[in-house]
Amino acid sequence: MGKVLLKEMRLGASILTYLFMLFGLMFLLPGYPVLCSAFFVSLGIFQSFQSAREANDIVFSSLLPIAKKDIVKGKYLFVCLIESCAFLLMTLSVALRMTAFSQAAVYRGNELMNANFFALGAACVIFGSFNLIFVGGFFKTAYNIARPFVTFIIVCFIIIFVSEALHHVPGLEKLNAFGTDDIALQLILLAAGIMIFLTMTVLSCKRACRRFETVDL
Amino acid sequence: MAIVEVRDLEKKYPSFELDKISFTLESGRITGFIGRNGAGKTTTIKSMLGMIRPDAGTVRYFGMPFEGSEADIKKRIGYSTGSVSWYPRKKIRDIADIVKRFYDTWDEAAFRKYLKLFEIDEMKTPLELSEGMKVKANLMLALSHKAEALILDEPTSGLDPFSRNELLNIFLDLKKEGLAVFFSTHIISDIEKCADDIVYISRGKVIAAMAKDDFALQYSHPGESLEETMLRLEGGAIHG
Repeated sequence: MGKVLLKEMRLGASILTYLFMLFGLMFLLPGYPVLCSAFFVSLGIFQSFQSAREANDIVFSSLLPIAKKDIVKGKYLFVCLIESCAFLLMTLSVALRMTAFSQAAVYRGNELMNANFFALGAACVIFGSFNLIFVGGFFKTAYNIARPFVTFIIVCFIIIFVSEALHHVPGLEKLNAFGTDDIALQLILLAAGIMIFLTMTVLSCKRACRRFETVDL
Repeated sequence: MAIVEVRDLEKKYPSFELDKISFTLESGRITGFIGRNGAGKTTTIKSMLGMIRPDAGTVRYFGMPFEGSEADIKKRIGYSTGSVSWYPRKKIRDIADIVKRFYDTWDEAAFRKYLKLFEIDEMKTPLELSEGMKVKANLMLALSHKAEALILDEPTSGLDPFSRNELLNIFLDLKKEGLAVFFSTHIISDIEKCADDIVYISRGKVIAAMAKDDFALQYSHPGESLEETMLRLEGGAIHG
């Protein structure tokens, strides 16, 4: 799979995908809906699918000495790599906000959702949704990117809206924990987010492999 | 020895269908796949390569079914499709650098030889190449990994007469090395020049799959060239 991933990175990927990974650092922005950063990272990955389609990437890949399902797995691997890098930047930002900047007034007085481990878990759910809805949807045709991406945008902003709103619900204030407050709960929510991401991605990849076998190129 | 066996391949579209396509490709022989535009040549080739899922039929390479042995089989065959350009803004060098990693049998000397023969500047991108040069660039990649069989979709389309002649001579050299060469074309003179066998397809049906000489014996009128025979057949003799 390493060779397929290298092919994705060097031939299939748009430079914007790598640049948009940096939106992971938006977790540092105070007074900003930090989960939008996960949307922008996904938008960057979408650019790669768009440019790869224009470059006949799927047909080219189908001529390489690999099984058809490995084309699908290569795409998922690339997507997950980008998401993981962005997630690392988000985690770094959260760690800075929890430690070095924990006394900064702009973060203390943050009106919107705090960049904590719950936010990281929610970002994982957005990435999982992208993999399930967009990447999985793409492999229904190996061509159509518009419909699955529009569907993803709708779902993504629902997740952002709900995540931002939840801590205003009485009893759920702890979701907006600052710094290391309620750290056990934060870590549990992060783990749940990661599990949701993994489940969505694995299910989507398996289904995409099956679907792609029947797609005529 | 049979390198490729296509048996009863079927694919239905609303306005077109491949109807029980069958033929065999032998090592050390050149087979011309001839038919007019829309006859089903590309659909057949794509079905042979798993790019299109046939409704029925089997394709076996080296005695192995394509399904299940896809990756191993693709390592042993070369494929090129006309002037389709991959990654139009990437340098040929970068595309080749990725392709070679997938083949243990990549022959860098052969790659360099074809670069020189086809006068391709590897620092150029497909976008900067003419249609004919794109055909050559695709062929170069297909020819550089010691394939045992070459499957080429319209490799001579868009080539100037000199390049076409060069390419057909390359086919003859590859045949001497024992390769099976299968190429689709609607240019009958290409078949006349180098093919040993003919697979003639019309409206999704194989009309004939046999040695070129047998085809001439069976279908040509006395003194008729292959081109005249094909024109007569397509003109109504086979569908009348």
